[in-house]
Amino acid sequence: MARYQAGDFVAARALINRISPALHRFLNAQCTSVADADDLLQEVWLRIHRVRQTYRRGKPLLPWIFAIARRVRIDHYRKSLRSTMREQRWDELSATATDSLTQPQPADTLDELLAPLSESQREVLEMLKVAGMSLEEVARATSSSVGSVKQKVHRAYRKLRQSMSLVELRKGQTGVVP
Amino acid sequence: MRDAEIDEALDRAAREPHQVPGELLKRIGESIGPSLEPVRPLPPTWVLTGALLLIGVAVALAFAARAGIHGFEALNVPARVAIFGALAVLTCLAAELLVAEWTPGSPRLSTPAGLLAMASVVLFGVFALLFHDYRVDHFVSAGIACLLTGLACAAPAALLGLWVLRRGWAVNPVTAGLVAGVLSGLAGVTLLELHCTNFQALHVIVWHTLVVPVSAGVGAILGWFVQRGRALSSRAIR
Repeated sequence: MARYQAGDFVAARALINRISPALHRFLNAQCTSVADADDLLQEVWLRIHRVRQTYRRGKPLLPWIFAIARRVRIDHYRKSLRSTMREQRWDELSATATDSLTQPQPADTLDELLAPLSESQREVLEMLKVAGMSLEEVARATSSSVGSVKQKVHRAYRKLRQSMSLVELRKGQTGVVP
Repeated sequence: MRDAEIDEALDRAAREPHQVPGELLKRIGESIGPSLEPVRPLPPTWVLTGALLLIGVAVALAFAARAGIHGFEALNVPARVAIFGALAVLTCLAAELLVAEWTPGSPRLSTPAGLLAMASVVLFGVFALLFHDYRVDHFVSAGIACLLTGLACAAPAALLGLWVLRRGWAVNPVTAGLVAGVLSGLAGVTLLELHCTNFQALHVIVWHTLVVPVSAGVGAILGWFVQRGRALSSRAIR
């Protein structure tokens, strides 16, 4: 990052190649299509490029990058929410939500695993598990305290435990009933 | 289902490779390439915090030098220590949080809403303990005059503070505006404590304390407009 700030193009490319997969996965969770996530990734890097002077050498890099990515994602979410509200009626939304709650599916990919979680719980787990950040780094990236992050993780695990147990139960039932 | 099993499932899913198209990475590299010039990183947090503190004090003193420090002269020593001690601590906390708000990925000692609540409660408590004249002469007219004087001092303090932080980037413009409002509002309260000789308890408790939340509210509203502007500009990029 220090070399990127010094204007080294090779270092900038290396950083983009190294961080982009985790960032893309982080952004993908809220996008309706891969093309949307691609656009968002590009926007994140443009934003990072514009504010690269705000990174201080010697400080952890991932919280800085994810704090920016999180803000781009929030802006995008608000924008898409506004357009979705215009297009979709409330009753359709609630019907979709009820379907997804009553018909749990076996989860294999990270997106499916984290589907039952709220947005804030999901982003905390993504940062911890996908980006490999520590609790303190997640707290920095989300502008909150370590205690608040721990609480979100605790609640997320409780919800995941319920959801995964339900899936196991359904699996067992379908195995018994001919 | 145990936590260890959930951990294992999450780790397994997170290990799955996630590919980003090479063409996209190349495009991102090319888009930033032409404007890739060396940049100077932001100064350390303590330098920016110190600069914000100096600005707050300097603006309050400049206004007080013009208007007179009659309030300070009329206060006894314990009251001076309590009021200006509390203002100094709150201003330090606000300056530190404002620098954190303008630097992505910074650790924070408190939240913006927590800071606003703490500043309001501490000022309310200190004023309630020190002032015991419960008359209410010209409550509204004298109060509005003090409120406007405090806000008039807060405005240049906020502008100069933003000039110090011009190379930073507010992750959340609304909360950054709120904290900037708290900090500049505290400069306004400092001016009022130096200048105002109206020691009626309700006047000081209500109108002097009110400078901070009003200033914070104005800051948050301006931050909201900045946020809207940012959303529009990002839409234009895409």
